[in-house]
Amino acid sequence: MIRRLLFMIPVFLGVAILTFLIGNAAGNPINLIRLGLRNPNPAVLDALRRYYHLDVPVYERFVFWLWDLMHGNLGVSISGRPVASQIWSWAWTTMELQIISLFLAIGIGIPIGIYSAKNQYSKADYVITSIAVFGFSMPTFWLGIILIIIFSYDLGWLPSSGATGISFVWWGNPALDQIAHLILPVAVLTYVGLATIVRLVRANMLDVLRQDYILAARASGLSDRRVTYRYALRNAISPIVTIIGLGFGASLAGAPATETTFSWPGLGYAFTQAASNLDIPLVQGITIVITIMVLVANLVTDIVYATLDPRVRID
Amino acid sequence: MRSNRRGANQWAVAWRRFRRNKSGIIGGAIVLFFITIAIVGPYLAPYPPRSYAPLYQGDAGQPPSLKHPFGVEESGIDVFSEVIDGTRNDLYVGLAASLLTTLIGIAIGAFAGYFEGIVSEVLLGLTQIFFVFPALLLILLFARVFSILVFKGLGLTLIVLILSFFGWSGISFIVRGETLRVKQMEFVQAARSLGAGSIRILFRHIVPNILSPIIVIATLGIAGFILTEVAVSFLGFGDANTPTWGLLLNEGFPYIRTEWWVSLFPGLAVVVCVLGFNLMGDGLSDALNPRLRE
Amino acid sequence: MIGKLLEVSNLRTYFYTEAGVVKAVDGISIDVGKSETVGLVGESGSGKSVTAQSILRIVPPPGRIVEGSIKFQGADILQKSEGEMRMLRGSKISVIFQDPSSSLNPVYTVEKQLTDIITLHQHVNKREAIQKAESLLTRVGISESKKRLRAYPHELSGGMKQRVAIARALSCEPSLLLADEPTTSLDVTIQAQVLELLKELQAEYEMSMVMITHDMGIVADLTRRVTVAYAGKVMEVADTRNVFTDPKHPYTEALLKAVPSIRRTRALEVIPGNIPNLIEPPSGCVFHPRCKYAKEICSREVPALEEVNGGHYVACHLWRELRLEGRAN
Repeated sequence: MIRRLLFMIPVFLGVAILTFLIGNAAGNPINLIRLGLRNPNPAVLDALRRYYHLDVPVYERFVFWLWDLMHGNLGVSISGRPVASQIWSWAWTTMELQIISLFLAIGIGIPIGIYSAKNQYSKADYVITSIAVFGFSMPTFWLGIILIIIFSYDLGWLPSSGATGISFVWWGNPALDQIAHLILPVAVLTYVGLATIVRLVRANMLDVLRQDYILAARASGLSDRRVTYRYALRNAISPIVTIIGLGFGASLAGAPATETTFSWPGLGYAFTQAASNLDIPLVQGITIVITIMVLVANLVTDIVYATLDPRVRID
Repeated sequence: MRSNRRGANQWAVAWRRFRRNKSGIIGGAIVLFFITIAIVGPYLAPYPPRSYAPLYQGDAGQPPSLKHPFGVEESGIDVFSEVIDGTRNDLYVGLAASLLTTLIGIAIGAFAGYFEGIVSEVLLGLTQIFFVFPALLLILLFARVFSILVFKGLGLTLIVLILSFFGWSGISFIVRGETLRVKQMEFVQAARSLGAGSIRILFRHIVPNILSPIIVIATLGIAGFILTEVAVSFLGFGDANTPTWGLLLNEGFPYIRTEWWVSLFPGLAVVVCVLGFNLMGDGLSDALNPRLRE
Repeated sequence: MIGKLLEVSNLRTYFYTEAGVVKAVDGISIDVGKSETVGLVGESGSGKSVTAQSILRIVPPPGRIVEGSIKFQGADILQKSEGEMRMLRGSKISVIFQDPSSSLNPVYTVEKQLTDIITLHQHVNKREAIQKAESLLTRVGISESKKRLRAYPHELSGGMKQRVAIARALSCEPSLLLADEPTTSLDVTIQAQVLELLKELQAEYEMSMVMITHDMGIVADLTRRVTVAYAGKVMEVADTRNVFTDPKHPYTEALLKAVPSIRRTRALEVIPGNIPNLIEPPSGCVFHPRCKYAKEICSREVPALEEVNGGHYVACHLWRELRLEGRAN
C-alpha cells in the first residue's frame, strides 16, 4: 500500500519535469508563448514573468514552480484568467462523460462477454466478437463524427456539441437537455470501451470455465447461475479489473480528441485549444491535473484488484 | 539456431497454424492490400499529393462521383488521391514507430529482466513511470512545440520519434516478464555453465525464445500507432504538408455538415487498415501461442 | 435395496469439435453395488474421466451423452431434469478430482467452499454449517481445523488440499463417490495416506466408490471388481482377484506388466505406440495396433464382450487361445 503511494511520487515528478522542460524548450516559457501569440497582453506577460521566476537559474525555477503547483497556484493563462479556477469546472465536465461511459461499458460489457464465452462458436458469439474487434479498430472521435453526421445533421435528433443547450433545447427541459447532449459522446465512449471489455471478459471466462474447480462446483450441485457468476466470474475478474483501470486512464488521456469532436467543454478540449495557442501555463496545468487523475484511477484499480484476488497481498 | 529441414521447427508449425486461422488470413490480406497501395498507389492516383487542381477545374466541394470517387474537399483537394497518398505515410508512421518501440522495449525490458539489483530496479521504475504518462497529451504538447521550433515543420520522422518516446513502455513490460520466465529455464543455466557471457546469453538465447509474444505486440502496436497518429493529425498537431488520413479528417471537420465525404472515407481507410493489423495480430497470437483445446 | 446402486449400460459420450467427433466414451458399462468399490482402469485418454462426468451429467460442451442408460438407485439418471440432477450432485453422488490445486477455487477460503455445499443440500444455518465443516476437516485428518478453515487453497500443501477436496465431496454423506485419479498428483508417501483415508471413510459412511486410475497397484489395494477400459471401450471386466491372477485381455496383461514389483527381475515392459485418435479410431478391435498377439481378424471385426465365467467378461477375439501372464501378488 505504502509502496504504491510512494510510487506515485516519481511518476508525478517525471511528468512535472517533462512538462517543465518542454515549456522551457525555447529558453523560457515566455519566449514560447510569444512565438504563438500575436498580440500579447503586457500585463499578463509581466504576471507570468513573476510566476515563472525568470530571474533565477533553471533548477531554482523548477522548484519554485513545483512549490506553486503543490499549493494550487497554477499561474495565469494568456487570456489573463487564473488557470486553477477554470480547471475545476472543466475537470467535472470531463469526469461526467468518462465515468458515465465507464459504468455503462462495464455494466453492458460484462454480461455480453460472459454470454459470448458460454456460447462459444455460436452465431451470436461470432457476431459479438466481430462487432467488438471493429470497436477498437476505429478512432473514437471518428465514430463520433459519423454519429454526428447521421444523428445531428441528417436526422436532427440529437445535439452535436456542447454539454448544455445553447443551440439545442430538448422540449424545454434542462435536465432532459443535458441528457440529450450526453447521448452521443457517451455512446461513442461506451462502444469503444465495450469493445475492449467484451473481448477481455470473453477470453478470461473461456480460460476459467475450462478449469477443474468449475467442474467441481457443478459436481457439487450448484446452479448454473451461481457457478457462472459467483465462481467463474469471480476468478476471471481480476486481470479484467487491471485492464479496465488502465483503459480508463488511457481514455482520460485521450480526452482531447473525443471532446474536440463534440466541443465538449472539458479538460481535453481546453487542452487542445491551449496547446494550439501555446498557452503554456494552461497546458502545464491541465497536464498535471490529468496526470493526477490517472494516478488516482490506477490506485483505485490496484486496491480493487488486491481485494478481489487473495493471492495478491497489499504490501 | 539452424532450422530443421523438415519444417518441424516452431516457425513452420506456427505458419501452418496461421494459415488455418480465418481472421488471421483476412487480416493479413488487408495488410498486404494496404502495403500494395502504399507502394504502387501514388503512381496511380489521379492527382499529385496536396494538389488543388480540381479547384481550377471548378470541382471544389463536389460529392463523390465517377471522376472523384471519394469527393472533393472545399479547398479543391481530391479525397481519393489523398487517401491513397496518405496510405504510405500512415503505414510508415505505424511501422516505424512500432519497430522503434520494439527495439527500445527489448533493450530495456531484457536488461531489466535479466540483471538483478539496482539496474533492474531503475529500469523497471523508468518503465512504470513512462507507462503511466498521459501519452496523448504529452505527444500533442511535444508535437506543437517542436513544430514551432523546428524550421521545416514537424515531418513524419519527428512524429515517429515522439510517438516512440512515449510508447515503448508497454513492450518493455512484456519483454521483462518474458525474460524473467525464460531466465529460469535450464538451457540458460547450461549456457552459463559453458562460459557464455551475459550479453551473449541475453541476445543469442533468451531473446529468440521470447520472440512470439513480441511479434504479436509489435503487430498490434502498428495498429495503435496509426490510431494515435490519426488523432494527433486530426487535432491539427501533425504535419500540415504531408498527406495523412488524420490530416484529411482535420480538414473535413469544419465541413461535416455539408461535405460528409471528407470525413467518411479517410476514416474508413483508417478503420479497415487498423482492423487488418488487429486481425493479423490476433491470428499471430493464436498461431504462436496455441491454447490447448479439448 | 435389491439390485445395484449404479448401473451404467452401453454409455456413449461424444465431443463434437471443430476437428471432428471425438468418441471419448464408446460403449462403456459399469455396475456398482452397495458399499462396493469398483475400479475403472486405463491410460489417460481411455474415457475414464468422461465416464465420471457423464454419470453426473456435467460433461462440458461440446460433449454430449448420445446413447446408453445410467441407473442410480433404480432410477434412470438420463431422464431426470436438471433440477433433480442438482439435488443428486454433491449430496448423493460426489466427485474427487485429480489435481486439488485446480479443483479447489483459488479465491475462496476453505470454509466458504465447504459451507456453500453444506448449506445448499442440508437445512442448517451458517453457524452449524461451519461447525460441520470443522469436524469434517478433522475427520479427514487435518489438524487445527479451525485455523485451516480460514485458509486459502494456495496456503495448503498438496496432501492437505486433497483432503479438503475429500471433505468437500463427503460433506453430505453421499452414497456414491467417484474418485478420479485422486492420488496421481500427490507425493508417493502422501498417496498411501490418502488411500488409507478413503478406505476408512468408505467403511464408515458405507459408501460405494468408483476408483478411476491407471495404477494397477491402487486397484489391487482398494477394489473388489474392476473394469479395464481403452479408447472409450471396455476391454475386460472381472473381480479384481481374477483380473490379476488370470487376465484374459492382452491390454490387461500389458498394464499388469507395466507395474514394477520388488520380486520381479525382468525389465519393465512398455506398451508400444500411443493411444489412438479418438476421432478416427482403428478399425476392428481398438487395441489391435498395439497388441502383440494381434491377428488378421482383430483389424476387421470389433470384438463383442463375452463371458469367460461367472462375472468375468472380456472383449477379445483370441481370449480362448491366449495363455496370458498374471501376477501372484
